[in-house]
Amino acid sequence: MYSGSSQVAVASAGEPGDGLLPVLPPLTDLFPHGGLRRGSVVAVPGSGLLSLAIAAGASAAGAWCGVVGLPELGVRSAAGVGVDPTRLLLVSDPGQRWPQVAAALLDGCDLVLIRPPARPATHVQRHIEATLRRAGGVLVVAGDWPGAQARLWVAAQQWVGLGAGHGRLMGRRVQVLANGRGAATRPAQRWLWLPGPDGGVAAANPGIGGLAGSVLAGSALPRSAPAGPGVAGPGLTGLQREMTVRAG
Amino acid sequence: MTVADAPPRRVLVIWCPDWPVVAAATDVAGAGADVAGADVALAVLDAGRVVACSASARRAGVRRGQRVREAQHHCPGLIAMPRDEGREARAFEQVLAVVEEFCPRVEVTRPGLCALGVRGPARYFGGEEALAGRLTAALAGRGFGCRIGIADGLFAAELAARDGRAGVVVPPGGTPRFLADQPVAALGSADLADLLIRLGIRTLGEFAALPAAGAADRFGVPGSVAHRLARGLEPRPLATRVPSAELSVAIEFDPPAPQSEPVIFAAKGLAERMHAGLRDRGLACVRVEITVASADGRLSSRLWRHDGLLSALAVAERARWQLDGWPPVTGTGRATAGAGEAGDAAIAGADGMGDATTGVGGITMLRLVPDQLVPDHGHQLGLWGETQAGERVTRAAVRVQAMLGHEAVTQPVISGGRGPAEQVTLVPFGDARPPRLPPDRPWPGSIPGPAPATVYPDPLPARVTDVSGETVTVTGRAALSAAPAWLAAGAAPPLTVIAWAGPWPVTEWWWEPAKARRRARFQMVTDDSTAWLVAVQDGRWSIEASYD
Repeated sequence: MYSGSSQVAVASAGEPGDGLLPVLPPLTDLFPHGGLRRGSVVAVPGSGLLSLAIAAGASAAGAWCGVVGLPELGVRSAAGVGVDPTRLLLVSDPGQRWPQVAAALLDGCDLVLIRPPARPATHVQRHIEATLRRAGGVLVVAGDWPGAQARLWVAAQQWVGLGAGHGRLMGRRVQVLANGRGAATRPAQRWLWLPGPDGGVAAANPGIGGLAGSVLAGSALPRSAPAGPGVAGPGLTGLQREMTVRAG
Repeated sequence: MTVADAPPRRVLVIWCPDWPVVAAATDVAGAGADVAGADVALAVLDAGRVVACSASARRAGVRRGQRVREAQHHCPGLIAMPRDEGREARAFEQVLAVVEEFCPRVEVTRPGLCALGVRGPARYFGGEEALAGRLTAALAGRGFGCRIGIADGLFAAELAARDGRAGVVVPPGGTPRFLADQPVAALGSADLADLLIRLGIRTLGEFAALPAAGAADRFGVPGSVAHRLARGLEPRPLATRVPSAELSVAIEFDPPAPQSEPVIFAAKGLAERMHAGLRDRGLACVRVEITVASADGRLSSRLWRHDGLLSALAVAERARWQLDGWPPVTGTGRATAGAGEAGDAAIAGADGMGDATTGVGGITMLRLVPDQLVPDHGHQLGLWGETQAGERVTRAAVRVQAMLGHEAVTQPVISGGRGPAEQVTLVPFGDARPPRLPPDRPWPGSIPGPAPATVYPDPLPARVTDVSGETVTVTGRAALSAAPAWLAAGAAPPLTVIAWAGPWPVTEWWWEPAKARRRARFQMVTDDSTAWLVAVQDGRWSIEASYD
């Protein structure tokens, strides 16, 4: 049967020439250009969900995402933040050939998420970066990558919804910091729901500690949690110690 | 584009209506016989929707595209089965065996639909009508209902098969007139049909009356293909010379490959090579002949057609179908055409599902011959009914599969289940498999709210202790011995639990003692602000996932 030809529409989220892959609206302020620059490396040490959230904007816009070396990737949470599972290619166990796998996927996908099993040797890193620039994709590294154009990490986080023996996890407020090289040297920070109660990403009010204990114990989420003006701000290391989900 | 615009060859199309259901009924009944007459309310589902249903189900109000629940509402006794294209192909092998007794060159468009050139056989059997009658009778004798259409060109013949109660024979030269009354929806492209209807063009005749250049300008390559079809021409002008021999590719297996899996894998690489050769000449193929030879000297050869041009993955998939459907006793050479044959074929089909061995003493050779060549307009389709991966993505995935093996590149399918690990099925790239458990059902006991970002394929062993250092236990009635105070993953030092909830008890597979399990899940937040999904089963704690 002749089956039409509506397949070309899925190809890619834009031509290699336009230079940027989109990110979700709550994340745009974290990137100096408002999106992911093609040919660049974004390092995300620490949080698994943050790296997925960074990929989500491009995926939702139609890009294919390759994932290398992350056998424990939670596909449902990825779908929750906006990654389209039908455009995911998973290579869970690339073994020693992960650089070749990453290079092959960069040739076909607009975005590749990778966790290198070890710190890559300099020549391996050069080779992958050269492929990246030639193919015009974006490499998101779940871990560190010397010389990455952008680096994002979760500096503070707080789960809400869970009490001492009751409630359930409803969402997490995180403070995300970003810095990098070139235009990204100026550090940026945002407070986000990552994930929010619906599993998605949303902007959150800044600060931790202004939340009432009832919020933590109860099942309702704060629609507009009162911001703790004295807590939000630069004293991050202090904050990190203060991060407590109160047990009632 | 001026080549070969002569009227297309006479084609006979055999269409077995509701083939997915017939194939599924073969599974239910266990044999190919008396399937068409069986009065079972049966529906075949794909992605939770009905794709085909049996006559009695249709009488009860079941329709294509309905959700399972709606269909069961109309027909409470409905047997619903998931779609399995491999099963359909295997079952269709029995029909092909019958058709091949009339004409050795049968081309399969898809399971349930095949075509053959009518000129030779019609002369031998005393005319086109007589040939159609004999074919119908032979197939009915094996229990298969079918409709037969004959016209100029495959497209018109397929429409002719769907026309009337048993299909029609369109006289030579009458094809444009026959097509003129067909609705534009017959072109098979919902988008195009929708657009044409909004432009006031309702039949193929009206569409064919448009100037060809205008159709190409307005609707692009798919539009000009459709326009050619509407005029009763071949969809793409065939390349005049058929240099198949130099473009065919083959691989020999020494020692013979006992499993079909490596053969299918090799087929993919081989198809890539064939396509590379075609690309260099600016050609693409719409029909490919796949030949496999077994160690005991038998050959299986089949023509496969795909109007959307066959991608490497699609070729490999057809090689899989062909191997799955290969009867162990009689090859296509028909050494013994006898009474027990249909039964043998049915048994072969059943065998093919259970294990992946070839069952013919190993495969020694695989050959692909591009059979019908057309100029390449840079457009490839994969398998039917799938999210289409672009050519670039497919090439990348196939390259990684060539490096690490077929199973190494997967695509996730979200399915049902209670635990985070069973909610996702990983399907090797290029395979079409339904999810293990349907997702669109309530799963009592599954944990609501945001899903964990890290799901451990093998849960980490853990220790959960109360303030006094005793392991926390859960009774059969979901009562806790004490509140959890410490959580330790493996040998790591314990973390203080600052918030927790649970237990969410789950009893699964209680009806099947070997698989039955009772486990209770907890959510915990430890003092490093990490949230965990922890489970206890038979007194052993484990960490199933974390919400990082």
